[in-house]
Amino acid sequence: MKKIMILLFVSLFSFSVNSNAKSITLGWAAWDPANALQELTKEFTAETGIEVNFEFVPWPNFADRMLNELNNKGKTFDLLIGDSQWIGAGAVYGHYVKLNDFFDKEGISMSDFSPATVYAYSTWPKGSKNYYALPAMGDALAWAYRKDWFDRPELKSEFKKKHGYDLGVPANWNQLHDMCKFFQGREIDGQKRYGAAINTERGSEGITMGVTAAMYAWGMEYENPNKPYDMEGYFNSPQAVEAVEFYRKLYEDCAPPGHSDAYMVANLDAYKSGQVAFQMNWYAFWPGVSKEDSDGRVSGFFANPKQNVAAATLGGQGISVVKYSDKQDLALEYIKWFARPDVQQKWWDLGGYSCHNDVLNSPSFPTSTVYAQGFLDSMGIVKDFWQEPTFVELMLPMQEAIHDYVVNGKGTAKEALDKIIEEWVEVFEADGKL
Amino acid sequence: MSVKKKFKGLSDKAVGWLFIGPTVLLLLAINIYPLVYAIKMSFTNFYANKIGREPQFVGLKNYIKVLNKEAIWEKMQVTASFMFWTLLLQAIIGLGLALLLNRKFKGNELLTTLIVLPMMLSPAVVGVFWTYLYNPQVGLFNYMVNFFYDLGSFDMIGSSTLAPWAIVIVDTWMWTPFTMLICLAGLRSVPNYLYEAAEVDRASKWQQFIYITLPSVLPFLLLALLFRGIENFKMFDMVVELTSGGPGSATELASINLKREAFEKWKTGYSSAFAVILFVTIFGFGNVYVKVMNKIKER
Repeated sequence: MKKIMILLFVSLFSFSVNSNAKSITLGWAAWDPANALQELTKEFTAETGIEVNFEFVPWPNFADRMLNELNNKGKTFDLLIGDSQWIGAGAVYGHYVKLNDFFDKEGISMSDFSPATVYAYSTWPKGSKNYYALPAMGDALAWAYRKDWFDRPELKSEFKKKHGYDLGVPANWNQLHDMCKFFQGREIDGQKRYGAAINTERGSEGITMGVTAAMYAWGMEYENPNKPYDMEGYFNSPQAVEAVEFYRKLYEDCAPPGHSDAYMVANLDAYKSGQVAFQMNWYAFWPGVSKEDSDGRVSGFFANPKQNVAAATLGGQGISVVKYSDKQDLALEYIKWFARPDVQQKWWDLGGYSCHNDVLNSPSFPTSTVYAQGFLDSMGIVKDFWQEPTFVELMLPMQEAIHDYVVNGKGTAKEALDKIIEEWVEVFEADGKL
Repeated sequence: MSVKKKFKGLSDKAVGWLFIGPTVLLLLAINIYPLVYAIKMSFTNFYANKIGREPQFVGLKNYIKVLNKEAIWEKMQVTASFMFWTLLLQAIIGLGLALLLNRKFKGNELLTTLIVLPMMLSPAVVGVFWTYLYNPQVGLFNYMVNFFYDLGSFDMIGSSTLAPWAIVIVDTWMWTPFTMLICLAGLRSVPNYLYEAAEVDRASKWQQFIYITLPSVLPFLLLALLFRGIENFKMFDMVVELTSGGPGSATELASINLKREAFEKWKTGYSSAFAVILFVTIFGFGNVYVKVMNKIKER
């Protein structure tokens, strides 16, 4: 018995030593792509013997958890797949390792990745040649719709009679509104249906990501292109005001009852349960939606409709090495492996959104899934929220003011945007930018 | 040397200090030191997330900023309204339930246990499951309301008029049992001979309630309301889970706003000033309240 105990102790001890020596921890949000990455990473472990532990945090707590970890110089994570908006803080506050020397040494070229994703996920200052992340997961806000309802002859003819054009993928936001309203309160197969599940969440970033999809399409700019941080007349331009008003109209006319604090999962649930004709959501969710619809009869997908310009809200993340990690060498080995074109192809095949040109430019890519063409279209027109180190401070007043106007019905769109600018000026002043 | 011998030379006072010493040290470490540190920070422009940036002394600037900010007063109004309605409802319903349960009837114990169940739940859990109860399409609350009076579809959480009531209802549902229990303890401490004497004097039931029951139970009720008042001034978890402070800022209590300023915007100096103001407010109100309560007791 004594021998067995010693053997058990020794084997346990040797396992723990082994796992400590050759293991890294990767942090990301808890969602479908994270599971795909976990699956993909098995090959990395098989090739290198390095175990990868994953810590996936639910989206509502993701930013809080990760940013607190970084601010506290925590060593929990060796690798972090962080939101695009975090890149400024990651670089300025020294949370992320600068990857230029590593890329040069390993022959990893940023020109092998889609320019929009390199700009958004990797560089700080924006557009510079300073890289703090490898584009890991391309994403943008897009739309899914109930193709099976759209294909019903009686609904098609009724819609055409009413609006004078075909029921189908909306060409602009006005058509989107017409279609959403057409389905609002309509009984289909004995059940009451609604127009669209759109982002209205108050707590983290939901309603901002939703309303900016409209604002970008109306042509909103955050600041004067010739005078950084000069927002007056840009962020609250008449077009931007019109877009915010439109978003409120869309919420009032077309959202299902109780959809006042909804984001990714709530939109997905409303759509999957057959409540709504449209859902606004990230491309990351489309593999899951289309998995249950292999012949593509139930769901269709399309990029954010244009209004004055073609534009879409950027999502997605880059993968960074955490400066406080004691295992930076192992973490870099993972990035080297992940950047390989063959791994990137498998990443896409498993449901991740590769940003590698070899994958995106492959002739078979646009037809590889029903949403692939939309993804390509979207990645060419993406726009992102501020990526400043103070992005959380910038996000919160926008969440409050927009939610107050769109959901709460308080004040006017112009007042809401003016209030946001007022708060942003304060943030930039405190940060020494103004 | 035995322990007995070792302590033999200590005075009673010294032994007393020996017992309370660890607690005092703990209090100093986790209560007093953070308070002093927060007061110190409130006079600086410190941002906890800006690594390497030394905080600078800004005098009373943060306090002036907090007190001049319109949004802060809106949050204070929301908090005051939440406190007023929850305390009022919990006082009335809690006292009513206590009077009911003070009578002897079959199933009294079982009913008491069922009534106190909500306060044993985690506020976060309560917040989450009430979001389902308030769902306009499938929520039990909306169904019940419509069963008795057809209001059609209404959204308790999404409407700025109804959302403040939504949080009041949940807090009242959860914490009325607490008020009830304390009032019940008060009721059971009223000597029976007072009622017997009142009967002899031909006092009506209403007069017995006004002149015996209410004065006896009032100090207990006020104590319960003091506890609930302090708790509701700090209310955070249940409301965050239920409404996230929304729609817009319709249910954003001062504590929620403070958390956002301190740990999301990382305005450490500014939020320390805000925290100190809140502390002084609740401390001041608490002191006045205790004095009033003591006067009532003395009567």
